[in-house]
Amino acid sequence: MLFIAFIVGKGRAISIRAKGLKMHSQPDQYGWFVTLYTGLPAMMVGVVGVFLSLFGVASIPPLMLIGAALALAAFSLYGLSVKMNEKTKARDLVENFIKGLLLLAAFISIITTFGILFSIVFEAFHFFQRESFIGFVFGTTWDPDSAFLAGAGRGHEDVAAAKFGAVPIFAGTFYITAIAMAVAVPIGLLSAIYLAEYASDKARNRIKPALEILAGIPTVVYGFFAAITVAPLLVNFFRSLGIDASFESALGAGIVMGIMIIPIIASLSDDVISSVPNNIRNGSLALGMNKAETIKFVVLPSAMPGVIAAVLLGVSRALGETMIVVMAAGLRPNLSWNPLDDMTTVTVKIVQAMVGDQAFDSSLTLAAFALGLVLFVVTLIINVISVYLIRSFHKKYKVSNL
Amino acid sequence: MKTEGLHVKVQSRDLKLWYGDNQALKGINLDIFNNKITAFIGPSGCGKSTYLRCLNRMNDLISSVRIEGKVEIDGHDIYDPSVDVVAVRKRIGMVFQQPNPFPKSIYENIAYAPLMHDIVKKGPECDELVEKAIRSAGLWEEVKDKLKQPGTALSGGQQQRLCIARAIAVQPDVILMDEPTSALDPISTQIIENLMVELKEKFTIVVVTHNMQQAARVADYTAFFHLGDLVEYGETEQMFVNPKEDKTEQYITGKFG
Amino acid sequence: MKQNDYFYIPQIKKRNQKAAAFKGLAAAALATSLAFLGLFLFDMVRQGLPALKQAYVKVDIAITEATLQNPYAEFDRESLAIISRAWVRGLPQMIEENPQWIGTTQTLWALAAAETDQYMKGKQNRLRENQIQIVEKLKSDAKIELRFNKIFFFTGDSKIPENAGFFSAIMGSVLTMLVTMVIAMPIGIMTAIYLEEFAPDNRLTQLIEININNLAAIPSILFGLLGLAIFINFFGVPRSSPLVGGMTLALMSLPIIIVSSKAALKSVPDSIRQAGFGLGLTRWQIVKDHVLPMALPGMLTGSIIALAQAIGETAPLIMVGMIAFVPDAATSIFEAATVMPAQIYTWSGMPEKMYIEKTAAGILVLLTILLSLNTVAIFLRRKYMKKW
Repeated sequence: MLFIAFIVGKGRAISIRAKGLKMHSQPDQYGWFVTLYTGLPAMMVGVVGVFLSLFGVASIPPLMLIGAALALAAFSLYGLSVKMNEKTKARDLVENFIKGLLLLAAFISIITTFGILFSIVFEAFHFFQRESFIGFVFGTTWDPDSAFLAGAGRGHEDVAAAKFGAVPIFAGTFYITAIAMAVAVPIGLLSAIYLAEYASDKARNRIKPALEILAGIPTVVYGFFAAITVAPLLVNFFRSLGIDASFESALGAGIVMGIMIIPIIASLSDDVISSVPNNIRNGSLALGMNKAETIKFVVLPSAMPGVIAAVLLGVSRALGETMIVVMAAGLRPNLSWNPLDDMTTVTVKIVQAMVGDQAFDSSLTLAAFALGLVLFVVTLIINVISVYLIRSFHKKYKVSNL
Repeated sequence: MKTEGLHVKVQSRDLKLWYGDNQALKGINLDIFNNKITAFIGPSGCGKSTYLRCLNRMNDLISSVRIEGKVEIDGHDIYDPSVDVVAVRKRIGMVFQQPNPFPKSIYENIAYAPLMHDIVKKGPECDELVEKAIRSAGLWEEVKDKLKQPGTALSGGQQQRLCIARAIAVQPDVILMDEPTSALDPISTQIIENLMVELKEKFTIVVVTHNMQQAARVADYTAFFHLGDLVEYGETEQMFVNPKEDKTEQYITGKFG
Repeated sequence: MKQNDYFYIPQIKKRNQKAAAFKGLAAAALATSLAFLGLFLFDMVRQGLPALKQAYVKVDIAITEATLQNPYAEFDRESLAIISRAWVRGLPQMIEENPQWIGTTQTLWALAAAETDQYMKGKQNRLRENQIQIVEKLKSDAKIELRFNKIFFFTGDSKIPENAGFFSAIMGSVLTMLVTMVIAMPIGIMTAIYLEEFAPDNRLTQLIEININNLAAIPSILFGLLGLAIFINFFGVPRSSPLVGGMTLALMSLPIIIVSSKAALKSVPDSIRQAGFGLGLTRWQIVKDHVLPMALPGMLTGSIIALAQAIGETAPLIMVGMIAFVPDAATSIFEAATVMPAQIYTWSGMPEKMYIEKTAAGILVLLTILLSLNTVAIFLRRKYMKKW
């Protein structure tokens, strides 16, 4: 149908041109013009119909829908082929249409963000209507079992009310993240220093791809490695020292998470350190400082905003990491200082809440959204700070030392 | 050129330098005299900055560089394998074209190297050294109340004087300056030129400049470089008024730049 | 030596030592990072390689009509403990495909049970003493051997360890990635074109750019929540399907595709656009016919990188249900399916020890695919770079 429209449009345009009249746009564009203006109304009808039936507002039989679409298309085709003349600004109209289409595509990313925000806030709001907000943020007991029962339709009055104190869960997240950063920051930053300052170009070109491989390993694979290899190693090691360690220790999950984050910090820090201008390095070396002293006193402080940004990015990644902790950390919320204890994180709880069999609107499920909201807000704030730091770092080195 | 009574501080014998396969210095023999200002002039790419950087072994930092020949300070070869380059640079300091203060406070900018070299200990001894250095650079009145502020907060001319103070604080014998005023405004340029003349009492100054008038103003001796060769070297006045070589004359009269 | 006295600095030895220590520390850190990589790959290969082979037992079976109804009757209790029940279950179908077998005694190679297989590979197993003796006798009779494991590559998941394969996960990944790319590439590229070529420098544009940066940093599990709440709950897309998985992953992949496409567009010299305007072309014509073709390799590279990342994603897919037990590979994007990382996840939680080697093997398959994708992307990038 649309093909016919195109041909008609182009044909008409050519015939007009043949008459020697001046045209505003190219014949091809007229073809597109007609296509769009016949096709679009028809498609709109179709889309509207689908949406209506989706939302259960009205159910229009498909045949009628197609008939209506075709009729509309034919109508506009006729109208256009009659009315179109050399003055029709097809080119501009087509151009604007395409521009609009592209803008629409760009909007999808905004819609996505709002979608995430909306869905999380909406359900979290439901949760906070039922359970106390203060209790959530400050409570230290997470015991949702009766909510699970209630959600599965078996709540009793004599069962204790579910408690949703999320502090142990937040604590677990931060603790494991802290262990991960304790591994990733020293190793990542020092690796970056070596790459940026000491390594030859040849070595750099060989090593950087290796780090990128490390960065590309899926987290579920890290999780497997943590659960099957690292955890038993740790347990055995500590056992030989006479200390009891859990198979789901925070230390195991934290270490592997740290390994995962090393490339993020190393790569970004390397970029930042490399972009510190040589002028400053030369200034220090000319005073009789050796390379290590120059790095410590001059290069690193100059690169600091960028390095901090890299660390923040790593933290954000660690907070939101799911698979490694699901597979290697524990399931029970545990407020403890012992890294060999099992503890759980926000992401584990979200997963746990979702793969159970309870109804969608039970408190447990909604609790997952509440946790998700906290995660979203915290990672957003960290990322905003990180971006700001990197931006100001680049500004600093573009303006000075011109 | 009169040389009696003059002590040769830095001397190069047949110094050659290659960037990869490209020979940038073709055998430079030059005596730099103690407590004098020596200027290097010449068109761009003639090798004057490259030669300057040989005097404190800054060219060592470039991996494609190969050097032959000798450079001696007070008769000691700075390229001798047993010599630590760090020690060379303590004796022969450098100020760069772009002022490059560290992202630290003014005080720390100056104090850093002397403390590392163990010239002074932290505390009042160090404070004294910092003040002396800043005074020698003619910057004290302007920054005496702002020592804790970052060095990068100063104006361009002040930053360059800070860099000079920083170089002085290490108590070198020689201060090399690579086009120190080309990035500065005329007033700052004049301040620093006056400073150079003051400083030569205590130090030996070598300055690379693309501005012949500057050489004429401040330098006692001038060396003219062209395409990697030292074409002529002598007392500044004589070089400008009555150059011996044709090339020198052509350059000075602006026949090529 | 006079030389040294002239160039003497009191602390120089100590300073140099400190400097060497610093450099050594930095080098050690780098070496540690690389060692992790090496160790990790080595461990995966070590654990996964045994899965390439599977134990098979030579059996002689008298095949009758009765065997079609009750294949288990042909085997004594001890044999049944050593041979895979799944294989025996599949016997009737084999007989139906070979009706000439009825009334004869056939010598067939039967799939061995998980514990037998593990024993043959020298791994931890649960064979009892008498069973071990039987297996040892089979070994000396050359009636048991390790063969290439076709099951792993061509069958789907199974609750019976020796019968479990990666195939349904591979198919699921293929379907899901198809959906992901079909959605994400056009939208991502169009967004990039808009932002680079058409967008005016106003607040709206800035908002969109900030938004994309934020999207890139949102933890993947939150996309899963989005998929659950809106795609499944609100729009009613079937749970566990490649469709919903693909839609969710497409949103996650958008930022990468957009950013790399923008970079590709930016690298096209402006002189080309200027020339186009000079000829009186419209912006869209210039973009479509001149800019886009030049930027295409870069955009393709970015899409491949996005694809590589999406293939390994697990958390959001768990949230939309793609860890269902899927024995038969899905054939449409609307059926329940699982993907490779999810299969790895479920297998790693299974109690039977045999799943460990399968999980590791699955990981190796996944890593190989990722490595190939990244190599293609790098190759494309190099080839494309040569043009300017």
